[in-house]
Amino acid sequence: MSENERELVEGLRALASAEPREASSRIEKTLLATFRARAERRRRAVWGSVVVAGGIAAMLIVFLWVSAVQSAKRQAASVHPAVVATAGDASEPDASEPAVVSAQYALDSDDPAASFYPLPEADGLPPAETTMVVRVEMPLSSLRLMGLPFGESSGADLVQADVLLGQDGLARGVRLIQ
Amino acid sequence: MLDSPSHTSDDELLRLTRAGDEKAFLTFYRKHQGAVFRFALQMSGKLEIAEEVTQDVFMVVMSTPQKFDPKRGSANAYLYGIARNLVLRSLDKERPYLTVLDDPDGELHSKLAGEQDLASEVAQTERIEFLRKAVLALPPAYREVVVLCDLTEMDYAAAAEVLGCAIGTVRSRLHRARALLMEKMRATERCAV
Repeated sequence: MSENERELVEGLRALASAEPREASSRIEKTLLATFRARAERRRRAVWGSVVVAGGIAAMLIVFLWVSAVQSAKRQAASVHPAVVATAGDASEPDASEPAVVSAQYALDSDDPAASFYPLPEADGLPPAETTMVVRVEMPLSSLRLMGLPFGESSGADLVQADVLLGQDGLARGVRLIQ
Repeated sequence: MLDSPSHTSDDELLRLTRAGDEKAFLTFYRKHQGAVFRFALQMSGKLEIAEEVTQDVFMVVMSTPQKFDPKRGSANAYLYGIARNLVLRSLDKERPYLTVLDDPDGELHSKLAGEQDLASEVAQTERIEFLRKAVLALPPAYREVVVLCDLTEMDYAAAAEVLGCAIGTVRSRLHRARALLMEKMRATERCAV
């Protein structure tokens, strides 16, 4: 390094030491205030998210609960007629048996479709994709009212019958057990 | 939470800052603000710009502390890098750079020299003042190497890291900048004679 250059570098060092060394305290205060405001905003955002998430979870729980209740009601409604139908005859040995028999069971037993009398109203209904068989006890006269060919008898004659229901809950056919 | 601020690394301080630790941010600020402020002041020659840049640099750190990657360089280099961009942007907005004939009101002198007894140190003060103006008159590319290497006494490797260039580039720019400054000094001496 030449003499001139050394002199220059020394001068620059003197210049550096003559400058203020620190930024004013005002900057520190401004930064601190900004930091606190940001932290506060972030805290609020976190709490806001927690509240929103909690609300969504509560809504979901209520929705699931209502759905479950409705589904249980629907299920009870579909079983009810059979229970009523079988509960009346306590002397029957199979009265405690489930009144609802799966369609699979019905189909497995010697071409069940052939064993059901089709109901006249069922002609206008869409074809049954899934079916359910419900065992009921009903007066013979009711079967005649349905248009089924049964002979004359007193209205007090009760018969056990299986009713074939479609996926829409509407009856497609009936067969006599007795 | 921050336990012993003096022994905590910059990386750790920034990690805690990210988690919202005010003490960590304050420690980091106090550790580095002087260097950032001096760099901005020496580059711009204006207190207002220096303070604005210092504040903005730490605002950037506050809002995106995750951007600092210790694998890519030191926190100092990271801060100088931000400060450098901000200073150059400020200078672009104002005049490209001051010249020796600028500052007619002696704004820098009066603000920076303060209440010093000029009578007793007139020669030294005049020399420093001349150098300040000469440094400010350098084109930014030369000015920043003088500020980093001569005023801040940073080594070539660290300066190259801040400037994002090769060490050889820093060395050659510094050589050229010193030559320009010496030329100005000689010209002034000739005028005085």
